Amino acid sequence: MKPFDAHEVSQLNEMKMDMAGLNMLAGWGANGDIVMMEQMPIFGGYVGGVEETAICDVATMIASFAIFDCDIHLDGPIHIRWGTTSTRETLQIAAHAAAALDQNTDFLLANQYYTLAGPCTQMCLLEIAAQAMTDTASGRELLSGVASAKGVAQNMTTGMEARMMGEVSLATCGMDVADVNPVIDRVVGLYERDFGHAPQGKRFQDCYDVKELEPTDEYVDLYDQTIDLLGNCGLDM
Amino acid sequence: MTAKRYVDIYEAYDRFFEGERIREDQWDYTVVPNNASQMKEKYGIKFSKDIIPTDEDLCERLFLAGLEMLLVTGFYNTDLGRVMRISEDELFEGLKMAPQKLKLGSGKDERECVARRGNDSRKPIIQGGPTGAPVSEGMFVPVIRSYAQEPVVDTIVSGVLNTVNNHAATTNTPWEIRATMAEIRYVREACLMSQRPGMCI
Repeated sequence: MKPFDAHEVSQLNEMKMDMAGLNMLAGWGANGDIVMMEQMPIFGGYVGGVEETAICDVATMIASFAIFDCDIHLDGPIHIRWGTTSTRETLQIAAHAAAALDQNTDFLLANQYYTLAGPCTQMCLLEIAAQAMTDTASGRELLSGVASAKGVAQNMTTGMEARMMGEVSLATCGMDVADVNPVIDRVVGLYERDFGHAPQGKRFQDCYDVKELEPTDEYVDLYDQTIDLLGNCGLDM
Repeated sequence: MTAKRYVDIYEAYDRFFEGERIREDQWDYTVVPNNASQMKEKYGIKFSKDIIPTDEDLCERLFLAGLEMLLVTGFYNTDLGRVMRISEDELFEGLKMAPQKLKLGSGKDERECVARRGNDSRKPIIQGGPTGAPVSEGMFVPVIRSYAQEPVVDTIVSGVLNTVNNHAATTNTPWEIRATMAEIRYVREACLMSQRPGMCI
């Protein structure tokens, strides 16, 4: 790793740390490395509802900077039932925690993307779009993703999902938050009823020409259709 | 009271080591949830239907609730089974260490991560990659290249190799270290092949 790279260490749920993490922090600190500290509070877990989880999220963010001396906090409120960051509740937790910190500090705040649906599905792209709008408009500094299909299946992530995350973020920048909220509401409404039967999606090698490293026509067409759909929801890309 | 100094990682360890001993299940099921509920009630935290809050007073109260949550609760060390605590003055002293901007990457691939304010017109850093999802050895470089070649992507977040040299990358074994080193090599190679050798990984 080079001095301009970032090192990642994770807190444990909730408000916990282990010795392995402390030792890594000591080493990186001595070396002057950039440190990203991850913490993914669980909605529906130990602390319960959206408000309690958001309070816990704010506390762990502050701890990342005040106790563990990190440079960027890497958030990711996660839904206990679905294991994703793109549910209505986890988006709301992330947005409120980010806005509370943004209003009171200049911390560098990031969020991670875990979708339920897999690559080359419209649901996956819509989940990403909803979260990218949420994170951008709530003042975050870095978006990190995407672990499609919950980030647990092999080769089920592709660059097209990151393209959606970045392009939606660009389109959202500068919008009035009061105008962003109804757009997110409409986009979430398009996929949240499908959580019980989310499409698994396709492997990387089925989404790209691996030799030329180009996405398939199918994925590009789906991407374009999704942009049109987001336009209908009120996001001008 | 004015803090003598901020709590660094060594002081944090000492406080964990000398802290109150408590069972982890008590922490998980009693201490943290009870304190979160108390903070919610004390600060009147109630979300509306909006995903992103537009109520500045709610944001202020949520910040104060989170701050007090940390001060009242402390932090738990799972290996020591103990709780460390920090005072409000020490906490604010520590927060002064937090950077407001960072340079990520080098050369023409360098990006500056700067604190945004609200929905700033300045875009966030886009960190593309599998975000810890498993990627096979044979597909690792092409998968990472698919991110590095995206103009909107600024930095790379890696995936995880399940195997290295067809050997399981088991946690807490030397194979885990070999797999980690291989991941770094592959990510660098992918950035290089995408003509973006200075990308932050």
